[in-house]
This record gives sequence, C-alpha cells and structure tokens, in this order.
Amino acid sequence: MRSRVVVTGLGVVSPIGIGVSGFWKAALSGQSGISAITSFDPFPMDGYRSKIAGQVRDFAVERFLDSAHGERVDRYAQFALVAAKEALADSGLQMAKENPHRIGVIVGAGMGGMVMGEREITQLYQQRKPHRVHPNFIPVITLNSASGIIAMAYGAKGPNLTISTACSSSAHALGQALHCIRAGRADIVITVGADASITPLVFAGFCSLRALSSKFNDQPEKASRPFDRLRDGFVMGEGAGTLILESAAHAKKRKARVYAEIAGYAATSEAYHMVIPREDGVEVANTMRLALADAGVTPAQVDYINAHATSTTIGDAVEAKAIRQLFKSHADKITISATKSLIGHTLGAAGAIGGIASVLALHTGQIHPTANYDDPDPACALAGLSRSVQERRVKVALLNAFGFGSNNAAVVLKQATA
Amino acid sequence: MPTDPGVSLKVRTALGQYLKRDPATILTAHHLRDDLGLDSMAVIELLYRIEETFDLQIPDEDLVELSNVGQVVGYVEKRLGETTSRAQIKKTAKASQSKSKQKP
Repeated sequence: MRSRVVVTGLGVVSPIGIGVSGFWKAALSGQSGISAITSFDPFPMDGYRSKIAGQVRDFAVERFLDSAHGERVDRYAQFALVAAKEALADSGLQMAKENPHRIGVIVGAGMGGMVMGEREITQLYQQRKPHRVHPNFIPVITLNSASGIIAMAYGAKGPNLTISTACSSSAHALGQALHCIRAGRADIVITVGADASITPLVFAGFCSLRALSSKFNDQPEKASRPFDRLRDGFVMGEGAGTLILESAAHAKKRKARVYAEIAGYAATSEAYHMVIPREDGVEVANTMRLALADAGVTPAQVDYINAHATSTTIGDAVEAKAIRQLFKSHADKITISATKSLIGHTLGAAGAIGGIASVLALHTGQIHPTANYDDPDPACALAGLSRSVQERRVKVALLNAFGFGSNNAAVVLKQATA
Repeated sequence: MPTDPGVSLKVRTALGQYLKRDPATILTAHHLRDDLGLDSMAVIELLYRIEETFDLQIPDEDLVELSNVGQVVGYVEKRLGETTSRAQIKKTAKASQSKSKQKP
C-alpha cells in the first residue's frame, strides 16, 4: 500500500499578513491586500496601464530570520525562507532528531529573483560595464536559489527540486512532494511556493500582455473580482506559502498535529496555447477528474474547491465551465472560493497559498469569502461562491492551478483521519 | 614600502562592512579565509567591492596573490600607482599630440 501523506505545518507571507494566524483572520474577514504600487519609486507609474498590486508591505527579512541566509538571496527566496521557518516551527519537527537525508525541499517559483535580475540588467545596459555585474547575480537569479537556501538553512539533505510552471508552479510542488513521499524517497518534504516580481520590467510585461486589471486603479481593493461580471484581468501579487508534507506514518510516530491529507494530484498540458486556455474547458475538467481518481474519491464527494480564478474574463469562465462539466448537478453543492480575490495573483506562490486556504477550510470548517463577487457573471455563476465567510464541514477539497504554457494542475486534499 | 593609510583604511572599511564588524579589528596580517572566515565566493564579493571603491578591474590571474588583507592593500596601492602613472603618460601624450596638431 502506498504511504498516505499529511500536512503537519503551515507558513505564509502574503499581502494580507505575514504568519498564518494573521493571514487567516484577514482572509475570513474578506480583507483586501491590493493597493497602489509604491515600490517602483522613483520609477514613474504613469506609463503603466495597471497601477495596483497585492504587495507584501514593510518586509525586512532580518526581522524574521536570525541567520544570514536571507541576505544572500532575492526577495522571493526571502519570502520562502520566512514561510518555511514558520511552517517548520508549526510542525513541531525537531530537525536535530531527524535523518537529514529523509527531508526534501520542493519549491514552486514562476519568475524567481527578478529584483536583483532587473537591477543588474538595467545597470549593465546603461553603464556598459560587464565587470560591474554583481558576483551574486547568477546564484540569485537561478531559479533554485530558494530550494537551495532552505536546504542550507535547515540541513535538509533529501531531494531538492524547483518546479517552474508559471502560475501552477507550487500546486505541482505539492503534487511532486506527494509523489516523492509516496515513492518512499523522503519522509518529509518542505513544500513551498514563492514569487516576488512586482518589478518595473515584469509588471510592464504583464501590462503589455493585457492580462492585468486596469479599470480599478483608483479603487484597488475592488480590482480582483473573480467570477464577477465586471472583472477585467488579474491583479499581480507576491508572497510565499509553505506546507510541511510528511508521511502519515512518520507524523504518527512523532505524534504530530495533522491538519489534512494530501490525497491526489494530476498534472496535464493542454498542448494548446502559451497563454490562452482551451475555451471548452475539457482539459481543465480532465485534470480535476484525474486528480480525484488519484485520490480515490468521486466528484460527488467534493465539498470545496479553491479555484484558480484569477479574475480574467476567459480564465474564470473556462474554469466554471469545466467545474460544471465534471461535477454536473453537484457543482452547485460545492462551496467555492477564490483566494486571489483577496491577495491578487501571487504567480508561483498561488498554489501553495491556495493550498493553505484549502487545508484551513478542511481543518476549521471555515471558507474565506470571495471578495467583490458582487454581480455574478452568468457565464460563470456557481452557487457555492459567496462574498461572505461560509461554514461547512469539508471532508474533500480540490485545489486548482493553471499556468502559462498550457499547464494544468489539480490537487485533492482530505480531512485528516486518525 | 610604507602603506598608504587611506588605501588600507578603505580596504578594511569595505571588509568591515561586508563582515559586519569594526574595521579597527581587522589587521593587515589577517588571512582572508583562515582568520576572517571568507570562503572563495565571499572573497570574490569582497574584491567586487574593492573594484568599485577604487574604480579598478582585477584580472583573474591576480587573485592568487590576494590571500591576506595586507596583500589586498598592497595590490590596490600598486594598481593605483600604475593608473596614476598611466594617466600621466596619457596626459603627456595628449599634450604632445595637441602640440603637434598646432604645428601646421
């Protein structure tokens, strides 16, 4: 029998709170983390169509970490380190007592070290002095800098991987961590999603793609409105989420508190378009179906979906259509929420932060509101969406995440059983 | 050869900033790796700062001779001396060139 995999620790850095308790309190109250961009200063915002984002405010890594590891990496990896620290403390793991070769780290990151990346590229092109490119440039922008530094910080010598599939990166990190533990290659995987690329170039790129909301620049908290009729694009966010995944046997042996089980996972490609999902929703529905089959649960058993729901016109409609296709009449009995309505789209962190919201829904029976779901779009109306906090016993939850590059992921979570 | 107190201070200040310690506690006899704990990557980062501080480019082949603080100070002084003399040569050359231009 393959080993069951459970979640024993959580940590988060988000635009609505650093730390799980603050994040969850803010999420349940429907608090928005979206505001006007200030971090480009003195770079002018005038030329940007979108001028708002879900920013992690007043973040100084030295306030959260005692070690110097945070100084050697970019903002996204600093977020990852802080979220990992919280999750490990939350899990009660005593690293000194564990076999370091049985502890893995899997990070999902879409963009990586773009803060330093952009600065160095700009300086090189402006000053034309190749010898002034910082010696840390390459190690910092290399996408596995976060998984590497976390391993160094905690002595985790097991499998160390980075998954980069744009916005679905950390949902795949969860899935790959599940596979890793099921396959017996690790007892524990520190599973992380992180991104911090609200930077002048990356943000301009998303503006040029016409992917971002631009109608709510003077009402930032209204801009991220998944499934609502007035939605006009996503709002960029930043942050990190960490979930400690552990074999159920290992967790039991050390009498760990278990939040939930990670029970199934599917990864597919639509093999269709770099940025546009197939409008018939067939591939999304298939991804969810495969993940449920992997978990050994039927569609009718699903109580809650943490939707990918970025607030784009096409994306939300396709996801809603796929949910209807797969779940049929049960679709309206499923409680649904969109974490991005609160914090924006944290790209590579989205799967992990959505995963944390799912774990907490299973653990607490509370489902956070979908902010700005004021006027349901008939193209994607689902009865289980609400602007208010919802309460129900959640036994099975489904986490969706889709990424550029025609990439889909779905993860199934179950209530923890003794 | 007496060391230039300005160069020595600047080198030790750069090291102090990097290591987050009082430059006064950094001695010219200190070995970068054995005494100050700099690994090979840290030495490269330090030299990057030194290059910036003194507007120098340090070629790879010169790195082998830079093991302790005194060697770094001596090296910077030598290079600054070369830069100064090169600048003087350039200046002289330019002056004679402009003179020759005036001739016709």
